[in-house]
Amino acid sequence: MSPTSAARAAILRKLGGGTVRGDGAPPSESISRDYIRRGSLDSAACVAKMIERLREYDAEVTECAPDQLAVEIAAQLVRSGRKTFVAPAGLPRQWLAEGFNWKIDRVPGNALTTEEIEHCDGVLTACFCGVADSGTIVLHHSPTEGRRVITLLPDWHLCVLRASQIVETLPEYFDHCTENPALVTWISGPSATADIEMTRIKGVHGPRFLNVVVVKES
Amino acid sequence: MSHAPQPILDPNFAPPFPQAALPMLRDSQLRKNVAHATDVIQARRARLVAEKSDWQALRSAASRIRDEALENLGAYLEQFEKQCMARGGVVHWAADAAEARTIIRNILEEENASEVIKIKTMTSAEIQLNPHLEAAGVKVFETDLAEIILQLGELEPSHIVVPALHVNRSQVREIFARTMGLSNLSDDPQALTAAARNYLRRKFLEIRTAISGANFLIAETGAVAIVESEGNGRMCLTLPRTLITLAGIEKILPGYSDLEVMLQVLARSATGERMNPYTSLWTGVTPGDGPKRFHVVLLDNGRTAIHAREKERQTLRCIRCGACMNACPVYRQTGGHAYGSVYPGPIGAILTPQLTGMKHAQSLPFASSLCGVCCEVCPVKINIPEILIDLRAQVTDQERGKAARFFDPMYLGMRVANLLFSRAWLFHAAQWKARIVLKLFTRKDGWIHSLPSIGAKWTQTRDLRGLPQQTFHEWWKQRKQATQ
Repeated sequence: MSPTSAARAAILRKLGGGTVRGDGAPPSESISRDYIRRGSLDSAACVAKMIERLREYDAEVTECAPDQLAVEIAAQLVRSGRKTFVAPAGLPRQWLAEGFNWKIDRVPGNALTTEEIEHCDGVLTACFCGVADSGTIVLHHSPTEGRRVITLLPDWHLCVLRASQIVETLPEYFDHCTENPALVTWISGPSATADIEMTRIKGVHGPRFLNVVVVKES
Repeated sequence: MSHAPQPILDPNFAPPFPQAALPMLRDSQLRKNVAHATDVIQARRARLVAEKSDWQALRSAASRIRDEALENLGAYLEQFEKQCMARGGVVHWAADAAEARTIIRNILEEENASEVIKIKTMTSAEIQLNPHLEAAGVKVFETDLAEIILQLGELEPSHIVVPALHVNRSQVREIFARTMGLSNLSDDPQALTAAARNYLRRKFLEIRTAISGANFLIAETGAVAIVESEGNGRMCLTLPRTLITLAGIEKILPGYSDLEVMLQVLARSATGERMNPYTSLWTGVTPGDGPKRFHVVLLDNGRTAIHAREKERQTLRCIRCGACMNACPVYRQTGGHAYGSVYPGPIGAILTPQLTGMKHAQSLPFASSLCGVCCEVCPVKINIPEILIDLRAQVTDQERGKAARFFDPMYLGMRVANLLFSRAWLFHAAQWKARIVLKLFTRKDGWIHSLPSIGAKWTQTRDLRGLPQQTFHEWWKQRKQATQ
């Protein structure tokens, strides 16, 4: 027996088995969940709360109507003063404003190299969900959200969040997951640290700037 | 910057707590730094907990979810292993620190890795991974800002969430200026953070192997979750070719949706944030995204022994938020190093001796006033005071049996007390004698300010009330006689 399988047998023997809850059903169902699962705000108030919380994290938030989205994205890109942007392959064509240098990350097939992404000024993506209670943006890294690395290396991240994607509480996000995702990134504001005298410093290794466009449904 | 001798954070060799605490109590700079950091986190935590109207319900659910995982830990570990392997991960099991280090070193050898980047993991500090890797010729780069400060400054961690909280900005400036060759560096935290970013940027892009810990292992899906702030974690989880995750076996959560509770309580308790900037979750290997090879090392190292004891099992609920140390009146005075372990504070006081099989760190269960604030702030409701008392009893039971302890003044005193308290006539005689003797030392104010010999151990640090000239018994007897 190899050391690791001997250790495995010993550990499992000492722990004495047990049973796994539910075949297919979500585990630990028996645990009473009397915490707040559903929010109480109407959708307008929920969006307002999301925006307020994002701003508390120093994220820049703008709002626009659905038909104004492409214009708003272009305006944001111009305002950033940056030129070269990464975009995941699944983004709608009209989001990729004219006059900028777009690097499209096509996976599989034509993925950008790490160095190519590192040399981009910013990144534009959609997202899976927004959680108003904590101002959190959730990425499931689908074709419109891109590989994890593209929202990590560029210093500036512009994320499009539709009002219909905003939930009030974290449990509501989990209710939205019809299947368990393999990759998830929960983003709450730009990269930050408080390791030196508890002083919050924005921007360590992840993007220093998080910009969010909230698309209000008509 | 003072160059005090390095604290020993190996429970096998560390001096007892009272001895280790003395130099810390005399270091006013350290105490100021610790007080400042813990005050700031506590104030933030209190504000964010107050805004959660369902905080107590969340704590109850969090504690029950952890109990559910622990009660069926073996089954959940097997489920995790199966799911993780089905998604391309490799799962290793390690009985102790040495086995875990060997497994990791073997993987690094296979990978031909001479350098690794690391996400902060207290579990790796527990198994002293870094010095062993360095000895094997592997260069280790810590990437969490606090860990960089400690690594470059050759300092030891003093907290499980903000391990460099005992170091202030001018000390960080000195370390960075010296080790990064930046003589013009200012002590502005912004500039210091930027220096760390520059120091690591190329390493993130070039080093092909990373080592991480884990906040949660999801049994249902085989996924691993890491909670962080800076993005160094995401770098290590995304850019390298190979990722090795070292995790204690107790890190299991039954299902993905259990995170809806754990993520709500963890950041609020740990750093006083509604949510930490980044939480990452990944499952095995995802083609085209992130590392191509993924290993998980599941570590026992004393955990199964804790699991076997019904009363102490709740120790393993811990999600390493550090709220108990921020609140602890003892930790706030001494800082983390006095605990002689990488796990300081109240949770360290119960975890460390148990991890050593109650063979070492036996002074730690006594390093508490049992005020209970640790239990109040714990997001998974670990009853730390109850376990402290239980461990104290275990330590006492162990010691009492030792021949060398027979003439120990404390045990001698206890035996004498036992004798006195079980015989009324002896007790009364002792009272009468003590009254006569202690009267010699009692001042006019009714207090004893100093005692000779062994009694000085008490009066060195506090006064003793003089014995009253009449006991309750005597008074009662007298009263009865008077009324008859």
